[in-house]
Order: sequence, then structure tokens, then C-alpha cells
Amino acid sequence: MLPFGFVAGVAAIGAGLTPLQGMALSVLSFSGIAQLIASQLIAVDSPVAVTVAAASVVSLRFVMYSAALAPHLAHLDRRWRALLAYVMTDQSFALAVQHYAAPGDARHRHWHFLGSAVTLFVSWQAAVLAGIVAGAQVPTTWSLDFAVVLTFIALLVPVVRTRADLGAAVVASAVALFAAGLPYRLALVVASIAGIAVGLGIEARHQRR
Amino acid sequence: MKTWLAILGVAAATYLLRASFVLFADPHRFPHRFRQALLYVPPSVLAAIVAPGLLLVDGALDLSLHNPRWIAGAVSIVVTVRTRSVIAAMASGMAALWLLQWALGAT
Repeated sequence: MLPFGFVAGVAAIGAGLTPLQGMALSVLSFSGIAQLIASQLIAVDSPVAVTVAAASVVSLRFVMYSAALAPHLAHLDRRWRALLAYVMTDQSFALAVQHYAAPGDARHRHWHFLGSAVTLFVSWQAAVLAGIVAGAQVPTTWSLDFAVVLTFIALLVPVVRTRADLGAAVVASAVALFAAGLPYRLALVVASIAGIAVGLGIEARHQRR
Repeated sequence: MKTWLAILGVAAATYLLRASFVLFADPHRFPHRFRQALLYVPPSVLAAIVAPGLLLVDGALDLSLHNPRWIAGAVSIVVTVRTRSVIAAMASGMAALWLLQWALGAT
């Protein structure tokens, strides 16, 4: 995650954002993929609506995270839920899901969620700041953008537990590759829906047997 | 000014998507089918991000030995399955990539 933040910081400066704008984007949106996409589109002077739409598409997974976490957070008051929504990321979601799946009293687990999320927030912002300071001085031969893909591998592996998970991941990968030509990162959305459908299909077949 | 508008727009969009169900919708009204579909969101979305990052080079599928990314990615996947460690996933993947790039450059 830290190399990912560093790369996001480097990308913001490379896109022509000022250091203040780069930090504002990071603190306000707190999402590496949204930051990278927004930087790419700002760099080519896209209309504001296109930039916002593209960042929304890659952030659709947050709706799914939000829906998955909502039952665990329903007993909290509005301020707590507003705060936890702000610090929700791929990593803090993954940690929260593991944590809420553990047996025992779940009423005070939001403190644990907040603690891990705030830790992630602080280290993320520090990594982005380091990337902004380093700016364009990092040679491209280091291929630091690959570190981004590796962070997603580290997130993907633990969530593939059943045959249905594996089927969903394989089909989503294939569709993502073949739909790669679609504009505005739509391939990600199409591939995700295909993966979900296949996961549900495999699960339904297993239950009938 | 336009850049600031884009930043604020992206910030508002990402927040509203995160807040959607946590803040605005009643989780007890979700249909069972919808909750089951949620189980397959992380493997699907994450795979849809990883696969193009490993296999697409300038928008085209490249499964040859000249594309070090999918090989380094495969190394990282194997290491992650064995160790479940984020640090190991990143260190093995980056080391494999740099080694392959060096080897490809040397030949």
C-alpha cells in the first residue's frame, strides 16, 4: 500500500497538479485508484464531468463494500457511520470483514475498524506526500507502477477461498482483458458484473447437488 | 480552478459511494440474493484490476516471455498464497520484475 501511495503522489505531480492540489485530492478522496484515474484525466485536460464520472466508475466497488459493512454498523449513530464511511478503503474493508467474521461480541468492533483505518489513513497520506515531494525524479525504469498491481494481488489472494470465488475471479479477469478497449474504464465494471454472476451461478449449482 | 472543481467532484463522488448503504439505506431491507452477490464483489473487482495490469501491454494482450509483468505477477501470486504477507507479495513481485527486466535487457 505504501508504494501505491508513493506512486499516486508521483502521478499527481506528473499530471501537473500543484503539491497542494495533489494532497487535497488524496486527503479528500482517500482512494488510490480514484486518485490515479483523476490525475490521468486532469493531465489531458478532460472536462470536469468526465473526470468525476470516471473516478466514480472505478469507485463503484465502494457501494458494494458499503452494503457489506452496513449491517455491522447499523447500531452506530450517524456521526460514527459518516466517519467510518470516510475511512473505508480496499484495505480497511478487507481487515473489517475478517474482523467482523470472528466469533464473539461484535458491538465494540467499530473501534477496531476505526483504529486500523486511521493507521492506514496516516500511512497513506505520508506515502502520497513522499511521492509528491519526490515528484518526477523517480526514473520510470524502476516500474513503480507495478507495485500498484502487486498491492491488488495481495488483496485478491486472501478473498479467493471457494471454487465459486475462483470462478468469479477467473471470469472477471478474462472479461477485463477482452473488454479493455471500452472507454472510461468501463471494462472494470463489465468484468465485475460478469464475475459476480458466475460466482452466484457456481454457488447455486453446488447447492442443488 | 477547473482542477480544483475536478478534485472536489471526485472527493464528493467517492464519499457518497462509500456512504451509500452505511449512511443512507436500511441494511435490513436487502434481498438475500443481493447479499449473496456481495460475496463475489471483492474477488471479481480485484481480479478485474489485476489481470489487465499483468497481461496488457499498451492495450494489447501479451502472454509472451517478453512481457515480464505477468511472470513477476505469477511469482507474487504463488508467494502470497504461501505466505499471506503483503510485504512478501510486493518484495517478491518487484524483485522478479527487476530481475526479468535486467535479463531481458541483457539478452
